Amino acid sequence: MARFKNNKKGRVAVKPIVKKNQGNVDHVTGDKIPKSFVFSRMKLPGSVKQLQMDLRKLMLPYTALSLKEKKRNTLRDFLNVSGPMGVTHFLMLSKTASALSLRVARTPQGPTLTFKIHQYSLASDIAQSQLRPRCPQDLFKTPPLIVLSGFGTQELHLKLATIMFQNIFPSIDINTVKLSTCQRLVLLNYNKDTKLIDFRHYSIRLQPVGVSRRIRKFVQNHQVPDLRNLQDVSDFVTKAGYGSESEGDEEAATVTLSSDLGRVNRSSTKSAVKLQEIGPRMTMQLVKVEEGLCSGGIIFSEYENVDEKNAKSNHEEDGDDSEEGEEGDNSEEEGEEDGEDMDEDLED
Amino acid sequence: MSTGEEGHMAVAERGTRKRRVGTKNGGKSKKKKLKTRPPSSDRFKLTMKDKKIFQKRARDYNSDEDDEDESTKPPEVTIREKIFSDANMGPNYDEIEDEEGSDPEDNSDGEDHGEIQSGITRFATDGCNAFRTAFKAIMKKTKGDDTLGPVLSAHKHLIAQKLAEEEAEKKAKGQARKAKHLVAEKGHVKPASYLDSHEKILIGVATKGVVKLFNAVNKAQHAQKGLNASRSKDAKVLKKRRKEAFFSELGKTSKTDSKAQNSSNSHEDEAPAWAPLRDNYMLANPKLKDWDKKQETSEGDDFAAMSGDESYED
Repeated sequence: MARFKNNKKGRVAVKPIVKKNQGNVDHVTGDKIPKSFVFSRMKLPGSVKQLQMDLRKLMLPYTALSLKEKKRNTLRDFLNVSGPMGVTHFLMLSKTASALSLRVARTPQGPTLTFKIHQYSLASDIAQSQLRPRCPQDLFKTPPLIVLSGFGTQELHLKLATIMFQNIFPSIDINTVKLSTCQRLVLLNYNKDTKLIDFRHYSIRLQPVGVSRRIRKFVQNHQVPDLRNLQDVSDFVTKAGYGSESEGDEEAATVTLSSDLGRVNRSSTKSAVKLQEIGPRMTMQLVKVEEGLCSGGIIFSEYENVDEKNAKSNHEEDGDDSEEGEEGDNSEEEGEEDGEDMDEDLED
Repeated sequence: MSTGEEGHMAVAERGTRKRRVGTKNGGKSKKKKLKTRPPSSDRFKLTMKDKKIFQKRARDYNSDEDDEDESTKPPEVTIREKIFSDANMGPNYDEIEDEEGSDPEDNSDGEDHGEIQSGITRFATDGCNAFRTAFKAIMKKTKGDDTLGPVLSAHKHLIAQKLAEEEAEKKAKGQARKAKHLVAEKGHVKPASYLDSHEKILIGVATKGVVKLFNAVNKAQHAQKGLNASRSKDAKVLKKRRKEAFFSELGKTSKTDSKAQNSSNSHEDEAPAWAPLRDNYMLANPKLKDWDKKQETSEGDDFAAMSGDESYED
């Protein structure tokens, strides 16, 4: 009896976790907020480790920024933690002598997408290549938007990838979203010919259109302008100065705002959308789709397909030996694909 | 007398010469002999008594000269230095030098007073001691670690061999590290220029997406301007409008799907159509909300029970 009582007590003690679980739900829309872990289960070389850190920053704010992995941590450990923490996605980096790969998995059941990273650049590399790298304070306080482009073909593994990436970030409700929270953008661009996916990460900036650069700067910077060379104050307003050459040509990149956004962008004025890259940058290829979480039947494998269809792309096949000998269970594949289709229908 | 004078003169000449040039020890001793012999024997006996005084004087006399003499001696010293340096006498060398410093003097004295034999005794006591300390110092030196030993010239080829070996080792190590680094950095590309054409295209695609989304947001939020979702009256109106918007979107989607270049964008367009419905459903229907909660709490309870059981098992 006493034991039973204690059991009840234990139940009470754990309640905070339950409350936390409710925190996983967006308080405006009521949607479940996806959370993610970015980790690796092996010792990574320095640059890849940096890439992992960049990916974590990209996944902010709903990710574990300072997640510590140990060598003896198995996937099951992360899975066990993910339940109470409400983590829905795993991003796993792994490095072999031949290739660097990123696995994106949904917890706890899967599926798992394995991408081979052909090329990557770190956020610091991107910042170094830029004249004026931009990083406002609260850039990483809101989740990024995601733009998927070129995935619209009828191939099912691409559809699955689309769904996966759409769900990895919180969905946007157009009726309630504040544009000031749209600070970042993740772009995934699928190239049909090379079968490569370009992964880019941009910061979004809005600038009023039709205002001279001087006045814009004056409003933005809170600084006393340099009027030494001017005869009259009116010159400051009327003189055109040198305009940015990219200002005129971007007619398509203008939006009309419904509400004020910052000091500069007022409602019902036109603003230009400017994107500036903040790394990381990756060029990757979808090589494998697994049914479960890093296990289970293989729904799709790039290298088998290449053999069968004799695709026009000329990838050099760096031997991923692990994939040989896992020839598909076709019946399972079909069933799974159907399931995915249904998922997508729900999604839309 | 004249001969005596001449002899004296000769002595004087020799003396001056010696004083000027600083002749070798042999010359010195000769001079001394000449100097002491001319006087008569009784005088010599007298001097025998004052031998020590003379000796002292002579020593003083010579000690002045010794400074000059040293200039003639350096080769000897340098040789010694060389020996010491070969034997790696580094730190102790000064000490030994100090001890040795008195040595040359004694030596010269010994030679000066060859007949008297006192110099030899001095050498036997003092000089031997100095030599002993020096020798001891050398023997004390432990150079066991160096495989090549103190005599370098004998191991010239060994040194070369060892250096070559080290070089090869270093090279191999460097190459291994380089290879490892190459493997680690495989695929890592540092963008040379910020905006190449491909990047511009990508930015264009992304911009298109953002503009589409923002316009949609603008359209949706413009309609509900001035309405407060928390007020029930406004909420009804909102609901109605959103429903309308949803159906209008539904009508549109078939067209956009046929275009369907940007699946994501189309999704973003459709999302509001679906989301408000879902949103309203969740907000408006408390039963559903509770159901959601209940499920989660039950899950949590299961988890709690499990954890509790575990703790008790422990």
